[in-house]
Amino acid sequence: MNSKTMNRAFHLEAKDINVWFGERHVLKDVNLQFPSNQVTALIGPSGCGKSTFIRTLNRMHELIPTAGLAGSVLLDGDDIYDDAVDPSQVRLKVGMVFQKPNPFPTMSIKENVISGLKLSGRKNEISNDLVEDSLKRASMWNEAKDRLDEPALSLSGGQQQRLCIARSLAMNPEVILMDEPCSALDPGSTRRIEETILELKETMSIVIVTHNMQQAQRVSDKTAFFLADDNQPGYVVEFGDTQQIFNQPVDPRTNDYVNGHFG
Amino acid sequence: MNLEPVARPKTAEPWARTTARAKMLQIVGSIVPIAISLYAWLIAGVDPIVVVLLILLPTLLISIGTVGFVLKGKRGIPDAALIVMTFYLGTFVMVLLISVIWALTEAGFRALSPHFIYQNNTYVTPTDGLEFGGVGHAIIGTLLVVGLSTIITVPLGLATGIYLTETRSNGRGFVRVILQAMAGLPSVVAGLFIYSVFIVTGISQYAGWLGSLALVPLMLPTISRVTEEALKLVPQELRNGALGLGASSWKAFFQVTLPAAKSGVVTAILLGVARVVGETAPLLLTVFPIAGTNLNLLSGGMATLPTYIYRFVALGFDTSVARAWGAALVLMIVVGLLFGLARYISRPKSLKKKKVKR
Ligand SMILES: Nc1ncnc2c1ncn2[C@@H]1O[C@H](COP(=O)(O)OP(=O)(O)OP(=O)(O)O)[C@@H](O)[C@H]1O
Ligand SMILES: [Mg+2]
Repeated sequence: MNSKTMNRAFHLEAKDINVWFGERHVLKDVNLQFPSNQVTALIGPSGCGKSTFIRTLNRMHELIPTAGLAGSVLLDGDDIYDDAVDPSQVRLKVGMVFQKPNPFPTMSIKENVISGLKLSGRKNEISNDLVEDSLKRASMWNEAKDRLDEPALSLSGGQQQRLCIARSLAMNPEVILMDEPCSALDPGSTRRIEETILELKETMSIVIVTHNMQQAQRVSDKTAFFLADDNQPGYVVEFGDTQQIFNQPVDPRTNDYVNGHFG
Repeated sequence: MNLEPVARPKTAEPWARTTARAKMLQIVGSIVPIAISLYAWLIAGVDPIVVVLLILLPTLLISIGTVGFVLKGKRGIPDAALIVMTFYLGTFVMVLLISVIWALTEAGFRALSPHFIYQNNTYVTPTDGLEFGGVGHAIIGTLLVVGLSTIITVPLGLATGIYLTETRSNGRGFVRVILQAMAGLPSVVAGLFIYSVFIVTGISQYAGWLGSLALVPLMLPTISRVTEEALKLVPQELRNGALGLGASSWKAFFQVTLPAAKSGVVTAILLGVARVVGETAPLLLTVFPIAGTNLNLLSGGMATLPTYIYRFVALGFDTSVARAWGAALVLMIVVGLLFGLARYISRPKSLKKKKVKR
């Protein structure tokens, strides 16, 4: 896409990430590379640290009071944890969709879509076309176009989630992080979000956490398998092309997991 | 298959349906105890308090419990008990409230007239009839003194509430303790403090703004603690949502968290105003109550409704006491109007009503 990323192999890169909550070590030596315009799926059993890891990628992690971190995250080659970097600038480039839909309750549907621009002081970019475009890209336009001024909470849970995706898209981020975006959704909305993801990767890189093996295979190019042994920090067992992870996994534990033998 | 929408029929609330028999039983079940109580009170001449506590409550419990049992079986009995207790205690609170309002209205109504609202008390002696003079100057004084106090305290209180919820500072526990101590501060001490700091030292004469200052420590704990509670109710996901969009914590707070907590914050301010609007002691020590109108908070005496009431009750003449009651009634009405206005201004805007523009 942009010239800087063209020259580099990886758009986003996590190097030696270690995470603690208080004294508890929850992630150990995670090294992952996210190539441009590709979808990377993070899979693994509950509690192995996928959400924790994805939150380190746009500095949402540090908002948890007991959080600790070592390692670096390179976005276009620059460490986002550098002293001189403003976390809100990082989050502008690396957007996030949360597991639980969280539209702003005091705003209308339309105001929610443009809320990111208002919140980050880019009011001059606000236009009706942007609202329409963002909602279309989140496949939410048809349902929302006649009720743009209704409160966001009048939408169903699945619609709210797509609104949250539209809200992130309006910011035109370089990378978008999705933490189980479909876990609260019906198969129809899930399918539409998957279609959206495939369209979005034309213009951005995507990291998605999912518990759904089929979903990982349908949408992702790369897959990382996380695992945490009892009371041990989580780590990456295997990382590679999605086809390889699901069809010829190197590690027997990966094989067991993707075939539903545990987790 | 026909998928056209159907108009809502009258029977669309099946849960609200009760059979005629159930209704009858409920009515009989509630009337009988009331009839027995009325009989005991009016004809047998039992003391009304005894009637309410020892006759009405038990008979109500028994009869509604029986009705509940007949209609719903065993599970009807606790339901019935809950309904009776709710009704009983609810009525108790309503009776208290209404009797206060009634006593105030009854006693204050005599003094009430248009000129009582807008005239001041210059040239009025305590024994003058009620056809002259009024509390206009005290209404203005109360609005000015409490208004200035609110203007000073709201930013402080909001800032404290924000500090307590939105930061992770280590000082929060200490601030909470201080606020609690402040909430227990006798109001007269607040008045004495301002008196000794400003008036004894000669920094200022008695003046309205000193009264406002004396009210600040009384208002502050209410506003900050209620604001804190209101902000705590805003889910963390909303803050994360805003921060995840690249908002500074400042903007995330003012555009997302605060609007979500708006009605709680307005309640905090209202409770703060309610806490001080009737305060007398701190004002007696800091503002000299005069009979004329004074719009200047910075110098001169100024009457306020509570100090007016205090003075006129203390005079003890029939007309002066009537004026005091009138002022109390006016105070209640002013507070009611202010609260109504605040609620109206802060009502959740109905997003639907806005014009659809695209
Ligand atoms: N705020 C927190 N404070 C303390 N410990 C936490 C916190 N959040 C997560 N943890 C711990 O970190 C570990 C990883 O949690 P995380 O939420 O990242 O798991 P996950 O892989 O996303 O699981 P799931 O699939 O269930 O969402 C868990 O052991 C969890 O208990
Ligand atoms: Mg998770």
